[in-house]
Order: sequence, then structure tokens, then C-alpha cells
Amino acid sequence: MALQTSPEQPAPVRQVALAISGWIDRLGAVWVEGQVAQLNRRQGVGTVFLTLRDPVADVSIQVTCNRAVVDSADPPLVEGASVVVHGRPRFYANRGSLSLVADEIRMVGLGELLARLERRRQLLAAEGLFARERKRSLPFLPSTVGLVTARDSAAERDVVENTRRRWPAVRLQTVYAAMQGTQSAREVIEAVQRLDRDPAVDVIVVARGGGSVEDLLPFSDEGVVRAVFAATTPVVSAIGHEPDTPILDLVADVRASTPTDAAKLVVPDVAEERTRVVQLRDRARHQVGTWLRHQSEALAAVRARPCLADPTSIVEQRADEVDDLVTRAQRLVGHRLDRAADDLDHTRARVRALSPLETLRRGYAVLQDEDGRVLTSITGVEAGSVLSARVLDGRLDVEVRDTHPDRTDPSDQETA
Amino acid sequence: MTEEQTDDLGYEQAREELLKVVRTLEEGGATLEQSLALWERGEHLARVCQEWLDGARERLEAALAEREGAEDED
Repeated sequence: MALQTSPEQPAPVRQVALAISGWIDRLGAVWVEGQVAQLNRRQGVGTVFLTLRDPVADVSIQVTCNRAVVDSADPPLVEGASVVVHGRPRFYANRGSLSLVADEIRMVGLGELLARLERRRQLLAAEGLFARERKRSLPFLPSTVGLVTARDSAAERDVVENTRRRWPAVRLQTVYAAMQGTQSAREVIEAVQRLDRDPAVDVIVVARGGGSVEDLLPFSDEGVVRAVFAATTPVVSAIGHEPDTPILDLVADVRASTPTDAAKLVVPDVAEERTRVVQLRDRARHQVGTWLRHQSEALAAVRARPCLADPTSIVEQRADEVDDLVTRAQRLVGHRLDRAADDLDHTRARVRALSPLETLRRGYAVLQDEDGRVLTSITGVEAGSVLSARVLDGRLDVEVRDTHPDRTDPSDQETA
Repeated sequence: MTEEQTDDLGYEQAREELLKVVRTLEEGGATLEQSLALWERGEHLARVCQEWLDGARERLEAALAEREGAEDED
């Protein structure tokens, strides 16, 4: 993007700076080889400034990078060193200066070495030596832990102490090997193979402290890598932490970051395991106890329901119904009997009232002529007539002396 | 309805049936004979449940006692 400018229409500085910055940003990251002409570390400042000079032409470029990038260089970065820098050119608009912002600085020579290792890594990877499906898992509790390390090394102490602390009963079988130098690869191969042949060894740890890329070269040795790959026992690589991973880390079944980490990986922490088991058991116990309590309460509640708690109600309810019915029936029958009795009394009274005997008892008598006809009138009766008088307890034969008509109405008399 | 017939009842089965029996009894409407049979069944089921729970509690306590014993030995 070219700026359209003229003496009459100049571009402001900021616009030019912005355009330059944009162009430079497009360059992207590059690997640059050069010599450190000047190294400027200022106390308490996180950024380091250095001048990188072309070894042939009189050309140089400013490099800025994080202090950690410079500090990680091995051997330490000094003025005059040949380096390969990975960085991104950047234009600092406020000062109008150009600088390479580096995120990696490698010593030349080492760079070639790393490239060789990278090619080896790729070949072995293509062959399938690092395949995830070829990895074996570690036993939970190995009967014997095989250890390949240097005699009296910090790595040995770290593995042994941490393993014992976690699982006091652990058995360790250590095979010493040079962990650095020309003999190292051969000795490590032999040690791994020896431990692999021992049936008691359930896991092999190859342990070494951290070191430079050159120090760790034996652990990228093809023979070592193939020996570890061929081992039937799971192998843990425990090479001190480094930015450039030795190939052993890739072929090993498990990669530990440090020897101490390896100890954590190969044996469980006995106290931790014990605590976990106790916690699980407590939880299980608590669960079962709670369940039992809930169920017992629920069962008690069901049993307390009236239909179960008081089963006599089943019968008594019905007995009450029967009693009730009997009472009602009795009441009904009694009522009817009472009424019948009343009727009877009434009728009896009427019968009694109508009976001539009652009348006779009150002193009346019934007169009958010789033919047995009841006399209710003096008519037809003469002096000398013989009549029969019926009283309560018998008959009297009476003779009429005279008759006297009466003014009273004879119909007042009761008749049989 | 004999004990043997229901001895193989699991706890949950017995509990489910017990609830069903109680519901039926509470709804009413059954004949006297049915009600009595239901009640007997309910009593039996309640006993089965109780036996399961008692058994479980015993086992739990036995396990706890065993554990405490083991810890005392430590």
C-alpha cells in the first residue's frame, strides 16, 4: 500500500510509521544466523537488548528478547557467540527503530545437533516406535521396581527416597550405568535389558537429573530407544526437565518430568491409599446406615397405619354394623308388638264393654219371656205372666204382679 | 398363605406389595374374608421387611465391630 503524497499533501509521521509497521509485520517470523556483537542486560529489566551482526558483511540488526530466552541459552550467551535466532521483525513506531523480537536463541553447532535429533525422531516416529497403542500401562503396585541410574546420583536418591516414603514395602533393584558420556548408551542398554529379563521386575525407571542437550544425547541414542521399545516390562523415563525432550521420553511407556515424579508414578502413596479406602468405607457405611434408617422409618409408618396396627377394626367395624342392625330390628319388632298389644287391649276393652255380663255385674238383669225373647217393654206383659230374669250368676223365675208404664225412653236401656 | 410361599420375596418386592395391601385395606370395599386375608398378608409382608432390615443392620454392625476390632489391633 503506497502512500499518495506530494509537497502540498505530505503524510503525517504517524501515518508513515503505521505503514512501515504494517509492512514489517507482514514479514513474519524468521530464523536468523549471526554473531552477538553487543549484549545489554539491564538490572531489573525483563527485556534484554542485543546487537546481531552478520559474520561477513558489515550489517547488524537490533534484537530484543525476554530475559528468560537469553538465560535459557546453554552454554550461556556471551558477546561474540554465533547464534541462530528465531524472531519476528518489528517496527517500534515511537522511536522509529527496527528490532527483531526473539523467542528462541540457539547456539550454532547445537542447532545442527538438534536438527539431526529431529530427523532421527521423525524416522523413529514413522516406524511407529512412539505409537500410543504400543504403550503399556504401569502396574498399580509393582513387586519390584527396576532402576537404571548413575551411582550415588541425586536422581537415584530422589527415586529411592520418594518411592520408599510412598510405599515403604517397595523392593528396588538398581543397575548402575553411566548416565553421561561415550559409555552411557551401551551401559543403559545393558541395564535395561538385564532388568527386563528379571521376571520379578514389573517396571523399569531410567532416571537422570537435568542437563544440557549434549549431556542428554545418550537418551536420544537409537540403540537405547530401540532397547526400550523392545522391552516387555513397562519403562518410565525420568530425565530431568529440559526444553528439548530426549527421544527416550517419547518411546518410554510413561514419561516422568523428574526422578521424584517417577517415584509418584510407579508406586501409590500408602498413606494416601489408606485414607482413600477409609473414606470410601466410611461413605459406604454411612450410606447403608442412612438407607436402613429411612427404610425402617417407612416400614414403621406403614405398620402404624390403622388398618395394620389395629386389625380388630376389620372385625369390629362389621360387628358394630351387625349390632346396629340387630338393634334396629329389635326396635322395629318391639314397636310392632307394642302396637299389637295396644290393639288387643283396646279390642279387649271393647269386647268387655260390649259383654252383657259386665252389665249384669253392675246390677242389671235381662228379662226373657217363656219363649226366651228378651223383654224391653211392658207391652205384652200382663200381671201373672211368668218371666225369667238373668242375673250375673244365674236365673230367677219371676211372676209379674203389675205393669206401670214409664215416661222415660226405653231406648236408653242397653240391649244384648 | 404360608410363610414358605413368600420366603423368597426380596425387600423391595415385599415393601411394594405391603403398600398395595395397605392401600386396598384403606380403600375399603373388600369382603370380610378378603379383608382378613389382606390383613394377614400385610402382617406377613411387614414381617418379611422387618427381617430384611434387621438382617441388614446385623450385618452392618458385625462389619463395624470387625473393623473396630481390626483397628484396635493396629
